[in-house]
Amino acid sequence: MALRKLALLAVAAVAAFACGTTSAGPTTGSAIILGAPLGLTGSLTKESNLTLQGYNLWLDWINAQGGIVVNGVKHPVTLRYYDDTSSANQSAVLMQKLITEDKANFLLGPYGSAATATDAAIAEQNQIPMVEANGAAQAIFNQGYKYTFGVLSPANKYLQGVVDMAATLNPKPTTIALLSADDNFSLEVANAINDYAPGKGMNVVLFKKYKNGATNLTAEVQAAKAAKPDIVLNSGHLTEAIAINKAAKEQKLNAKIFAYSVGPSTPDFISALGSDANFVYDGSQWTPQVKYTPAFYLSESDYVAAYKAKYPGLGDPDYHVAESTAACLALQRAIENAGSLDPTKVRNALAALDVTVFFGQIKFDPRGINTYKPMVVEQIQNGVHHTVFPATVADAQPMYPTPNWDQR
Amino acid sequence: MIATAASNRRRQRIFLIAGAILAAYALLAPLTSLDAAQSANVPLLADKFWFQIATNIAMFIVMATAWNIIGGITGYAAFGNVAFFGIGAYTTGMLIAKAKWPFLLALPLAPVVAAAFAALVGLPLLRLRGHYFAVASLGVGVAVGELVQNIDYAGQPVFGGASGLFLPIFRIDNRGLFFFYLMSAAAALSIAVTWWMLRSRLGYGLIAIRENEEAASVLGVNTTAYKVAAFALAAALTGLAGGIFSQWNVFVNQDNVFPITYNIQMILMALLGGTGTVFGPATGAVLLYLLIQFLGGTLPISFDLPFVSSDARPIVAQVILGLLLVVVVIFVPRGVIDFFGGRTRLSVAYLRRSLRETSL
Amino acid sequence: MANFVQLVILGLLAGGIYVAVGVGFGLVWGVLNIVNLAHGALVIIGGYITWQLFTALHLDPFLTLPVDAVALFVLGYALQRGVINRIIRAPLLFTFLLTFGLNLVLVNILLLIFGSDFRSVTPAYAGKGFEFGSIVIPYVPLISLGAAILLSAGLAFLLNRTRIGLAINAIAADRDAAQLVGIDLRHAYAVTYGLGAACAGVAGGLIALIQAITPTAGEPYTLQAFVVVILGGLGRVSATVVGGLAFGLVEVFAQSIPGSGSVFANAIAFGLLVLVLVTRPQGLMGRLR
Repeated sequence: MALRKLALLAVAAVAAFACGTTSAGPTTGSAIILGAPLGLTGSLTKESNLTLQGYNLWLDWINAQGGIVVNGVKHPVTLRYYDDTSSANQSAVLMQKLITEDKANFLLGPYGSAATATDAAIAEQNQIPMVEANGAAQAIFNQGYKYTFGVLSPANKYLQGVVDMAATLNPKPTTIALLSADDNFSLEVANAINDYAPGKGMNVVLFKKYKNGATNLTAEVQAAKAAKPDIVLNSGHLTEAIAINKAAKEQKLNAKIFAYSVGPSTPDFISALGSDANFVYDGSQWTPQVKYTPAFYLSESDYVAAYKAKYPGLGDPDYHVAESTAACLALQRAIENAGSLDPTKVRNALAALDVTVFFGQIKFDPRGINTYKPMVVEQIQNGVHHTVFPATVADAQPMYPTPNWDQR
Repeated sequence: MIATAASNRRRQRIFLIAGAILAAYALLAPLTSLDAAQSANVPLLADKFWFQIATNIAMFIVMATAWNIIGGITGYAAFGNVAFFGIGAYTTGMLIAKAKWPFLLALPLAPVVAAAFAALVGLPLLRLRGHYFAVASLGVGVAVGELVQNIDYAGQPVFGGASGLFLPIFRIDNRGLFFFYLMSAAAALSIAVTWWMLRSRLGYGLIAIRENEEAASVLGVNTTAYKVAAFALAAALTGLAGGIFSQWNVFVNQDNVFPITYNIQMILMALLGGTGTVFGPATGAVLLYLLIQFLGGTLPISFDLPFVSSDARPIVAQVILGLLLVVVVIFVPRGVIDFFGGRTRLSVAYLRRSLRETSL
Repeated sequence: MANFVQLVILGLLAGGIYVAVGVGFGLVWGVLNIVNLAHGALVIIGGYITWQLFTALHLDPFLTLPVDAVALFVLGYALQRGVINRIIRAPLLFTFLLTFGLNLVLVNILLLIFGSDFRSVTPAYAGKGFEFGSIVIPYVPLISLGAAILLSAGLAFLLNRTRIGLAINAIAADRDAAQLVGIDLRHAYAVTYGLGAACAGVAGGLIALIQAITPTAGEPYTLQAFVVVILGGLGRVSATVVGGLAFGLVEVFAQSIPGSGSVFANAIAFGLLVLVLVTRPQGLMGRLR
């Protein structure tokens, strides 16, 4: 196994070397510097590392090509990143350093909505484009900022796919218990469902907020059980998703659908819960099963293979990785389209961008967020992630309804 | 003894001059980044990133110095001062974002509201002593942040809710410079207040309370009034820093302005520098902030760690930071201010004496 | 009514964790006068030991608790003997600085060893439980509560009925007098901190069963330990047990307030704490010293 990996690497290295030396094409220009603050220590370490993996995957690829082609000149790409210790305020300091001292040409986003909001203001003040992939709260994009672009679908779309899917199922579920953490991203997800579900013939019979990062959610689960819902939706993060799933089993909270906004898509969810993770749905920005026709870069299957070669033993890339790579791709294509490294020209090229890559369509609405790419619904079936909705990209049928806990 | 007293005075003067030069450099260097200065070929001494760092340092100087008023001079270990920072930030933020006030009009209200709040909660809280006060003030710090984020009225969040407050970007030339001087002014003010206090009736009363509260009371110090005054003063200064921060940072939410880690950081800075003194907390703020940035690899002067992969580097940097704190606490228990002003000198004998004094 | 009974049960079960987290913190604070900001890190180390033994050797998580206790006792003893003993005569707040530094070191060493992945222990019987009509009592939290009570009882026995316990009590009463009667302070301090760490380790093992842990997951528990210990009253194990159970009940009932009541769980808990402190500074169960 290790030997094969080594061989692969060797081949890749030779190929890259060959490309670099024999191509008689464009000449090599100055390096393009990209900057990103990331929470490499502290509470957001996991997600920030996934983000960095996504950036690095693209970085390897683009530099193997010799760099980004701007007006016939190839510019190799350097990524500068620093640890913001998962603090939004330190993220702001690092943004200023990246812009002023490292002379970053363009910026990539940090992880999380709070840091992204802070950094967006700095990008705006310095008029340097920031393409981000991990801050889905729409509040960031409602400020009229011109230099921040988000390649991911906004928060309000996260669980709508689950509701859409539920409307197609038989017997149709009609009641929803909605639990939500009290951070800005999670609340936007939950509020959107609260508004959206009645139009699909479903009633939200319970809507409860809990403290972001809460570890004891037994009372919430008890309230959900008392409401006897067909669907249990949680809008929160991985920690809370695991705590809720454990408590649901203990307290015999049964429902036809359990769907969590963030969490189940990561391999950690399955390894932490074992077979209890089965039947859980989540709204996902991307899955390895979706099929788009990429205009450039890798196909889905090549992307998954590239990820597994670079980060062996971690399973499939989850959507945090994919969306982070997509941010780089959006920036790359905008630079190529602008034919310039001028921040304002690239900003305008980003605003006009419309391209489909392995991640899906990337196109920004006037606020700068990608409202054009659909979200998909995943379900864990027998310990494996499957895409179950929309039918056009699905690789499996939803296993519906979820059996009661004592019948599994 | 007499000979050393003379040399101590000389050393004290050297330190004073060095400190003044350093302060003058810190305050004047940023001016060289003005467009006008550059077109006149003044060599660049500090760029925008440096005032970001310097502004942050000034902010922590305010917080550590303000904490020193209640924690160091009065001896009440406040553990929730970040509440005042957040209240100041939200006061200014709300007035600007919701009521559309201009920044300079909204700023003065930040310390007022923070002080009023401190007086209100101080009355019951300051009856508690020692650990109990520390924990109760921590509770206030946590609870205020939670309430501000979650209070709804008629289904609408009152204080911007979880989305936070987005302030309009302050449109002036040399914005970074403006906030640097504003925050530096707040830092100077907090140091001046401490200096004045230590020479005033209020200060003597507070020190008397720290040394022996019953005795102070017997001697006629109105302990409740004095303690509440100290708490409110600390809150006002911290709130002022919060108010400036809100417009400087543009985005205000619970994560930004109520971080529990600030409670610990400001105490660390005050202790590191030396509590109960005028310049100790400020010195601690400068040292600890620069140390954190240095280890984080943010400063131009960087260092390489042998045998450490680039993935592990930020983590190892945190480990080193922790170890340094441990070493400093063990060997310099009175704070680094001890070395300034000529009373003591850093020597092996000093380190051994410190260790012996505090060890079991 | 059934719902009320269920909530009481859930509150007490949740309280079991807080008891386990609180007793060690309270011991170190009450006896050694050390506010141990590294407590949460010690808790999570226990969690990782349980997780490692469960994943690698398939040991039952509850059987790993003694391993947690012993390992953490050794670590705690070494930390106190080698490091914390050096600042015992410094002002109180210096213990903050020192233990904050230790916390940073421990958490980041965990990050180096285990990475940032979320880990959790889910044995085959997780989620099963007793059922009485509509009321359920799940096994895992129930055994956890039992383990926490047993831990507290063991600690109380050790403190009140053994030689080392008497020495610890003597330190708590008067350190210098204790030294005069021939107690080896350095050793006794280290044993006390070791016992506190051992309790933290057991708490961590229990926590790995109910939630997913990461190296930073212990920090909220340090905060909660503050509340639990003060709520009950500093200085007695039984008081911490009451404080922990009370905290669990407050949390669950605050969460079950309709609408968005649960987001104020901390505000309510701390509000209650301030109220208790102002009216009864010795805590619910404590005695004035």
